[in-house]
Amino acid sequence: MNEALEKIRQEALARLQEVREEKELEELNSSVLGRSGSLTGILRTMGQLDKEQRAKLGQASNAVKKELEQAIAERRAKIAQLMQQKAFEKETLDVTEPGIRRQPSGRLHPMTQTYREIRDALIGMGFTTFHGPEVEYDDFNFTKLNLPKDHPARDMQDTFYVNDKVVLRTHTSPCEARALMTVKPPFRLVIPGRVFRVDEVDASHSPVFMQMEGLVVDKNISFADLKGTLDEFVHTVFGPDVKTRMRPSYFPFTEPSAEVDISCTICGGKGCRVCKGTGWLEILGCGVTNPHELENCGLDPHEWSAFAFGIGVDRVTSLKYGINDIRLEYENDARFLGQF
Amino acid sequence: MKLPLSWLKDYVEWNVTPDEFVEKLMWRGFECAGYEGEMDGITNVVVGKIVALRKHEDSDHLQICTIDVGAEEPLCIVTGATNVFEGALVPVAMDGAHLTEGIVIKPTVMRGVKSYGMLCSGHELGLSEADYPGAEFNGIMILHGEHPLGQSIQEAVGMDDIVFDIELTPNRADCQSIIGMCREAAAALGQRFKEPTIRHIEGEGDIHDYASVTVENTELCPRYTARVVTDLNIEPSPAWMQKRLRAVGMRPINNIVDITNYVLVEYGHPMHAFDLACVKDGNIVVRNAYENEIVTTLDGKERAVTPDMLLIADPEKGVGIAGVMGGLNSEITADTKATLFEAAAFKGSSIRATTRKLHHVTDAAARFIKGVEPVNAMLAEERAIELVDELHAGKVIGGTIDVCNADISEHIIYTDIAHINRILHTEIAGEDMAKMLATINIDAKAAGDKLKVRIPHFRTDIEDGLEADWDIAEEVARLYGYYNIKPSLMYGDTFAGKLGADYVFEDKVKDEMAAQGCYEMYNYNFTGPAALDALLLDKDSEKRQCVKILNPFGEDQSLMRTTLIMGMLDSLKRNQGRKTGHDRFFEVGNVHFDNNDSLPEERKMLGLLFSGENESYFTLKGAVEQLLEKFNLFGKVEFAAGGSEFYQPGRKAVMSIGKEQVGELGAVHPNVLKSWGIDGRVYFAEIDMNKLFAHTGAKRTYKPISKFPKVARDLAIVVDNKVTAAEVSRVISQTKLKVILDDVELFDVYRGVGIPEGKKSMAYSFTLRSEDHTLVDEEIQAAVGSIIRALETRLKAELRS
Repeated sequence: MNEALEKIRQEALARLQEVREEKELEELNSSVLGRSGSLTGILRTMGQLDKEQRAKLGQASNAVKKELEQAIAERRAKIAQLMQQKAFEKETLDVTEPGIRRQPSGRLHPMTQTYREIRDALIGMGFTTFHGPEVEYDDFNFTKLNLPKDHPARDMQDTFYVNDKVVLRTHTSPCEARALMTVKPPFRLVIPGRVFRVDEVDASHSPVFMQMEGLVVDKNISFADLKGTLDEFVHTVFGPDVKTRMRPSYFPFTEPSAEVDISCTICGGKGCRVCKGTGWLEILGCGVTNPHELENCGLDPHEWSAFAFGIGVDRVTSLKYGINDIRLEYENDARFLGQF
Repeated sequence: MKLPLSWLKDYVEWNVTPDEFVEKLMWRGFECAGYEGEMDGITNVVVGKIVALRKHEDSDHLQICTIDVGAEEPLCIVTGATNVFEGALVPVAMDGAHLTEGIVIKPTVMRGVKSYGMLCSGHELGLSEADYPGAEFNGIMILHGEHPLGQSIQEAVGMDDIVFDIELTPNRADCQSIIGMCREAAAALGQRFKEPTIRHIEGEGDIHDYASVTVENTELCPRYTARVVTDLNIEPSPAWMQKRLRAVGMRPINNIVDITNYVLVEYGHPMHAFDLACVKDGNIVVRNAYENEIVTTLDGKERAVTPDMLLIADPEKGVGIAGVMGGLNSEITADTKATLFEAAAFKGSSIRATTRKLHHVTDAAARFIKGVEPVNAMLAEERAIELVDELHAGKVIGGTIDVCNADISEHIIYTDIAHINRILHTEIAGEDMAKMLATINIDAKAAGDKLKVRIPHFRTDIEDGLEADWDIAEEVARLYGYYNIKPSLMYGDTFAGKLGADYVFEDKVKDEMAAQGCYEMYNYNFTGPAALDALLLDKDSEKRQCVKILNPFGEDQSLMRTTLIMGMLDSLKRNQGRKTGHDRFFEVGNVHFDNNDSLPEERKMLGLLFSGENESYFTLKGAVEQLLEKFNLFGKVEFAAGGSEFYQPGRKAVMSIGKEQVGELGAVHPNVLKSWGIDGRVYFAEIDMNKLFAHTGAKRTYKPISKFPKVARDLAIVVDNKVTAAEVSRVISQTKLKVILDDVELFDVYRGVGIPEGKKSMAYSFTLRSEDHTLVDEEIQAAVGSIIRALETRLKAELRS
């Protein structure tokens, strides 16, 4: 009888290796372990045996049953796995095909991106936003800033006039006057905005452009503080490897005045077309606030000191992205805007 | 400001290269736009000697020259010129030489003979007769005298000067002169400035026998000096003077006029020479112009002058416009026998106003506008007379007329050394400051904690007043070197930086629009009357209340925009023309409304411009709704039919919150698009950013998520065409229900077969639920029933079967 049992076991295990499909497996299962299966058949013959043999056979057949049940279960899992694998193969994609975009992405103008970067760098340095109007009183745009009527330096900034008292602001500096007159010092302000100059449009001039003004008022603010602040600012925006230099200049509203150059972002300072071979690019004008301006705005220049700087956002944008013609920034060609 | 190196060398020891000079000046605050050699662009042209000359066998007019250019082998050059001869020294353009008009020399074969270069005419070298005698001869330029063979042509003709083009800041009027610039240049080079001394020419006789000066307006003319020269010998000025004038861009005229121009350049002081015979009684009157007066200036133009302008006149007539241009009637001519040299100080602001009115700025006027100072007037006068003497131009008459109402006294200021160091964050000793200042002729001395500074007459930018400490601090910083000042970080209070809530809002709006596929535009603020008309705006439309610019580029840019649409349409047109293929744009920008006397009202607007086949009024509205949703404002904003004239009737809506209108949207009127030449349909929305912002910030509070299931029901009603979706929503939301109505969605609107004419079917889906139990059928039916009854009674709706 044991031989018969062994035969069933071996046959079943052998057949199991051949089974590829679930249906086949279930057939095998019932043909061996089912109600009329071969192993069940052996158990039915046990009645004819004596007690001792019966126990022996019972034990042996139970062991075979367990073994086969386990083998079938394993095979079942294996088949399921194979079937899933097949299904996966069927569903395999070329994962490099382009993705489907529900909504093609839009773009922020490069100037907005640059503006945010500069602004956020300054916010991180303790500056707070402030703003003033684009159409401005002559008094704030010029007179309060130490540029009285007929001052020759007024010719530095060709002005659009609305009437003899109102102009399109030529810089964001009138906001300095507004801040000095309304905000309680000490303070650090960043003031972005559009400005206007009578400049015919060409590759490097635009009658409308964007500036960002910085103004710091405190006690004992020095030229060296201005230098330190701008160094830190430049490194935040342009990276730690960029060099800066500050050279003397003139603005009626600052004294001493300076212009700040950074080492050329295109050639790294070796000299190229963008920096006109100098290795340097001018990015902003700045200085210690002129005492007349403080006094005109109601602050005692011997008690309070200040520095200010004005950054050309258009220019910095051009430098950052290597845009060689400022007109592109106002033409709104989608092929341009789509690049940023 | 043009500074010829040859002129600089009169006053400064030159010890650097041009590039080093440019950098040293830069550190002193003088930016150099560039420098040019006199014959820049001409290269590789050298002196050669014609050692042999023979006729070309195959040509009637060509000659073959053997030329020695100092090299081992002589060159063979074929020329068509007839004025060459053996032994002549000529300019030889070698292989690769550059000449004027972009000519580059290459060896060529001329009728079978190889020619290794070219002999040049003066014209080909860009030289005129004035540059080099014989240069304008029609043939090869024959060089005079002896020259080493192979010498550069620049050296040979004495045209090897370099002219620096220096950009001056407006505060340094004193450097608008060779003397002033050389003073700074010397200090920048660490050299001593060789200050010129003017030889006083006493002259003979008494000026008062020849001339007199009456200054009627001493405010506009603080100083007027005059000297007289008789027995004039009018002739061209000497070559050295002509060369220098030309180097700085001036045209030599005659010795007397050239002297005034030379002094203008050298001392930065404009002068004028009158023909004394044309000044009645020799009496110069400095007065305001009369009403309706006309002065014919040296350029032959009749100029109408007005009483606010200052004239130089004689007792009968104007002989010049002060500080701007002399009169034709008193011009120096070949016949002039006696002249009066004027060196005066006129008030810059007056000259500025005059030039603006006359639309005419001369070199002289530009200097007066920048500011000339009265002490310099006398120096200029003295220098001119010295030159008259040097050039033997006439007989100098004794005496000087000097009508001086200016403060020419010396100003001494006491600046605070510690304060200067505080401004700069430096520790420079007073003595060291004094030493540095001395290098630019500022006499200073440390006295205790003060620095006593004698302001030189030419430094009108240094103030005897509030600014003094800062003025001197700037000079000290400049001389000490900005690069030597160590950067420091601000001490004192620390600040928490803050991005204002309005800025945060703007950022979010822009980010949302970009997320919705829009590209951001930046358009100019300018527009014009034609654009307003093209937008079909009513005569009394608010959008015609534009701020007008007095001095615009043109009529089409003479107004400030009152809406973003015109700029955005301009840009869309450009994109269509270029087939860029993008359909969604947005812009955030200010618009302005004229407010009569005070500043205009400034509104920050968001503009959205959609176009193309995939867009519709509803895609635009959807974008707006999503934007509103972002700020929790969707339910608050009501849309109602209406809006500006540039939208298509029936397809436009105004957006309001309560009674306040916050925006508009709609399909752009086809006639507007036609004016812009734009194809297809275009949709535009414009939202007032600040108004919208004012309604943001409502707190979002969490609503507990119901544990009980939602029930969805659909409902289709038939209503009159005029009934709007907004009305239906209002009725539904106002219906009192015992259950909670979560979502109401209009998912279909249908007109046509099966629906009576003039009516439409609207299909809604609802979601109903309860906070505390699962809804039973009766409740659901009761709720739907209430809604239906409300729609029936208030909107005459019928249930669609």
